[in-house]
Amino acid sequence: MPASLQEVKRRIASTKKTGQITGAMQMVSTAKLNQIQKHSESYQTYASKIRSVITHLAQSHLLDSASAAKSQTSQEGKLNTLGMLKQRPVKKTGIVVMTSDRGLVGSYNSNVIKQTMDLIKDGGHNKDDVVIIAIGGTGAEFFSKRGYNVAYEYRGVKDVPTFREVRPIVEAIVTMYDNGLYDQLFVCYNHFVNSLTSIFRAEKMLPISAENMGVDDLAVADEETNYHIEYETEPSRDAILEVILPQYAESLVYGALLDAKTSEHASSSTAMKSASDNAKDIISALELQYNRARQSAITTEITEITGAQAALD
Amino acid sequence: MDEKPVLTVNVVTPDGPVYENTTDLVICKTTVGEVGIMPNRLPLLASLAIDEIRVKTGEDTFDEVAVSGGFIEFSNNVLSVVASAAERKEEIDTSRAERARKRAEARIAKAKEQKDDNELRRAEVSLRRAINRLSISNKK
Repeated sequence: MPASLQEVKRRIASTKKTGQITGAMQMVSTAKLNQIQKHSESYQTYASKIRSVITHLAQSHLLDSASAAKSQTSQEGKLNTLGMLKQRPVKKTGIVVMTSDRGLVGSYNSNVIKQTMDLIKDGGHNKDDVVIIAIGGTGAEFFSKRGYNVAYEYRGVKDVPTFREVRPIVEAIVTMYDNGLYDQLFVCYNHFVNSLTSIFRAEKMLPISAENMGVDDLAVADEETNYHIEYETEPSRDAILEVILPQYAESLVYGALLDAKTSEHASSSTAMKSASDNAKDIISALELQYNRARQSAITTEITEITGAQAALD
Repeated sequence: MDEKPVLTVNVVTPDGPVYENTTDLVICKTTVGEVGIMPNRLPLLASLAIDEIRVKTGEDTFDEVAVSGGFIEFSNNVLSVVASAAERKEEIDTSRAERARKRAEARIAKAKEQKDDNELRRAEVSLRRAINRLSISNKK
């Protein structure tokens, strides 16, 4: 006979309590997930607007500068004055790593961190030419412990971050790029697919180039929105671009942050769900064990009583 | 047939749409000057100053929306105002704006002391935003 009756009983009680806690946490995460998904929708309208305008503007800008570059290649430095569109020789790479502040989110953090390390390795970077911008405590600790240059770290992102709250972060990221702290910027985060799956994504956000502007989607989008409209612009195209580009970069980073948070809630909810399920399994196994122990105790007792009776007769 | 042409205004920010209405006149301030937009105008793209957008709602009444920069895009009688932050006049949090103003002033003073041009420029922008919010909400 394994554990005593008392002990099994105690274990059942404690597992039940743990299961209750994880069950509650699951519900909380699910509620947060719903909230953030609603929020993401309203962000999407903003993002698509800004993207359509910027694609329109940048296309003509890129075309202009491309044709101009052909005619006078020697002066290309002067042509492209817009910092964010300019491809600089890459000396340093900035990597934004978005992780969670707390644990209990399943493989969410380890996934991001592992794949980010792979990205650093595959890109042929080393500790000296990588600048880490950590959003979320786990990533910050991981990279600073390993001697990486963590230029910026931010903890305590709200569960449903509003743009106003994260504005300082995104502004800092964009300013650091402007100041030449790094020459290209990757944003690494988990992209939310559905509540069970999220996939790692590393996006090159700066400098803004045709490929990360979704120009390849243009053919599809062209039919819905009229890119071919000839806009009157005030002031000049380039001046407007100069205003919009930082705004666009900020919105990109914010979008990634939203996406990461969404997938954090999702994976937290999944992790808690499987924890509750496990608790249920353990409880049923323990209950079986408990009943067996109880049964055998009764049998022993009966045998003893009948034995004693027989001895008396 | 001779229905008055109208245009639709919508103000979007990363935190969702802030304002939507139809009107026949919108006045906004771009970085180079004020512009009034009426229906059936040519498509227009313009960058906005940190100021207000006024949407005509009646004979002499306007809805006012405070915007922190951003840009406007007008095409097919739809005016989209895309800003990183915007509030309707009624929704402006004056105490918050007041705090932001004080903070920005402190930052400016500090930046001047340290001769940090970048910081100074940023602080001035936040000061302008705060003042813009305050002046709009204080207006009758």
